[in-house]
Amino acid sequence: MISTPHRLSAALVLMLLTAVGNAETGTGIPRLANGKPDFSGIWQTTSPADYDLEPHGPRRDAPPGAGVIDGKSIPYKPEALERRKQNFSVRTTNDPRLKCWTLGVPRSVYYPEPFQILQRERDLTLLHQFGHQVRTIHTNGTQHPVEKGQEFWLGDSRGKWEGDTLVVDVADFHDETWLDRAGNFHSVDLHVVERWKYLDANTIEYRATLEDPQVFTRPWSLTVNLHRNRDKNAQIIEDYCFTLDYDQHYPPRKN
Amino acid sequence: MRISISTTGALLGTLLVVGSAVAETTPTRPPRSSWKNETSYPAIAEGKWTGKRRADGQPDIEGHWSNTIANHNNWTDPQGGAPGDNPRELGPRESRAPSRVTDPADGQLPYQPWARAKQQEFAAHFANPTEPRFIEPLARCAPAGVPKSFTWHGYEIRQYPGYVFLLFGSGSRLIHLDGKPHLADNIKLWNADSRGHWEGNTLVVDVRNNNGKALLGRTGDFISENAVIEERYVFANDGKRFNYVARVTDPEVFTRPWTATIPMKHWTEKDPIHNWHYEVVPANGRPEIDEKYEQTCVENNAGFGGGAVGVPRTDAIIQR
Repeated sequence: MISTPHRLSAALVLMLLTAVGNAETGTGIPRLANGKPDFSGIWQTTSPADYDLEPHGPRRDAPPGAGVIDGKSIPYKPEALERRKQNFSVRTTNDPRLKCWTLGVPRSVYYPEPFQILQRERDLTLLHQFGHQVRTIHTNGTQHPVEKGQEFWLGDSRGKWEGDTLVVDVADFHDETWLDRAGNFHSVDLHVVERWKYLDANTIEYRATLEDPQVFTRPWSLTVNLHRNRDKNAQIIEDYCFTLDYDQHYPPRKN
Repeated sequence: MRISISTTGALLGTLLVVGSAVAETTPTRPPRSSWKNETSYPAIAEGKWTGKRRADGQPDIEGHWSNTIANHNNWTDPQGGAPGDNPRELGPRESRAPSRVTDPADGQLPYQPWARAKQQEFAAHFANPTEPRFIEPLARCAPAGVPKSFTWHGYEIRQYPGYVFLLFGSGSRLIHLDGKPHLADNIKLWNADSRGHWEGNTLVVDVRNNNGKALLGRTGDFISENAVIEERYVFANDGKRFNYVARVTDPEVFTRPWTATIPMKHWTEKDPIHNWHYEVVPANGRPEIDEKYEQTCVENNAGFGGGAVGVPRTDAIIQR
């Protein structure tokens, strides 16, 4: 008479093991013909990361957030912390996003507008709705350009696979992008290592480790989940919002 | 990049500097292509595709492409210069590339009288814009739009199941092959809304939702925000060329539909680098692969272009 509960629990254990197995081996996730995870799709975070990466309570310009960084605060060097405080005080007017400029990396990933990943074996193209950002992550064995100091707004992205995790080294940045709406910032010496990993077929765990010896005392990391947009009408619609200042002048109209 | 390739496109002085900087990174190849823009081009017939196919069945036409005749100076006399250019010896009209307008046969845009007057007013003010509406929008870093993007620098085509992606010098277009319907017609966009399918060697794209703001070139030629464009990208089976054929129906501006034809050449790693048509760098670690860097423009805080001036912007534009 004890066989039924035994069978039930055995079945339950099997189910649990299968679930864990799925998460760890990524079975059931989309894959390219070469077997690598296929991240194609429209993605967006639900986290309030772009308002402030650090833990923060509700305020006039931001919903509360538990923080997406490891630890409680970004490890700024003292003089950099002063600059961050200054940025925070002028955030509602000076955030570069307000001009619709390219947001940079990693901010473009957790900015609250969708982006579409188009993927080939040789690269991933990240088509961001906001502004005119298109980022290519090369996965064809190529390295960062020989010519340094080009100061790319999105950095230069070179990826490689560690199992089912896409690890992207991003380097050679411009220093005019912010990391969020709260004025967190970096210098041209920013170096980002991203880790993109499926948690399930509709969720990517995105982790970025940032180092910048001019600004931070040590490397630090943030993690957000990206959710596949499965809305019926989901599609990227261009948002070249930097044109909104002058677009009313065109085209000519019949008087 | 702090100074982008696209920004330098019309800043001739800077162009030379950046051009040679790019060349320095490519010691194994001739620094400059000797390519000369064409004054005529071959017809390509629509028909079967016998070339390479992708795993999803699409004809494989990925890579770098550029038009073979001219930039956006002048829509109907492509090698005739922009309005207000210093007079030079142009020679007879027949010595230059034909009009991009291939129907009507006279090569002229069949404007309604009011629209012709607007175009001529723009052309007269282009070199010395006295009002914002006379500044060519590309000079302010606006996307080059449909179809002008095909006349401005080389561009890249990337293909995916369900999509063809066009990455231009200013802006990008995702052509849906997924059978989904167009956006609602009240949504108007610089690069419009593109829904396409393949017919043999021809990519057929229905283009709507065009905001008409990009204009067609420095001559001030234009279409309205209700223009409908049927694009036919007719690829040669050897993969070396295609002709872009666009039928424009826009009764608000024109007396009849008209057709544009723009010839294109495929640029590959076998070609020398060209500082307008093929602005690439051999990849580090795999020099047999050419790659293009990111495009920026508005971030450089200055526009560009001919007699027009960009309008740097230092304060907020959006409230979201």
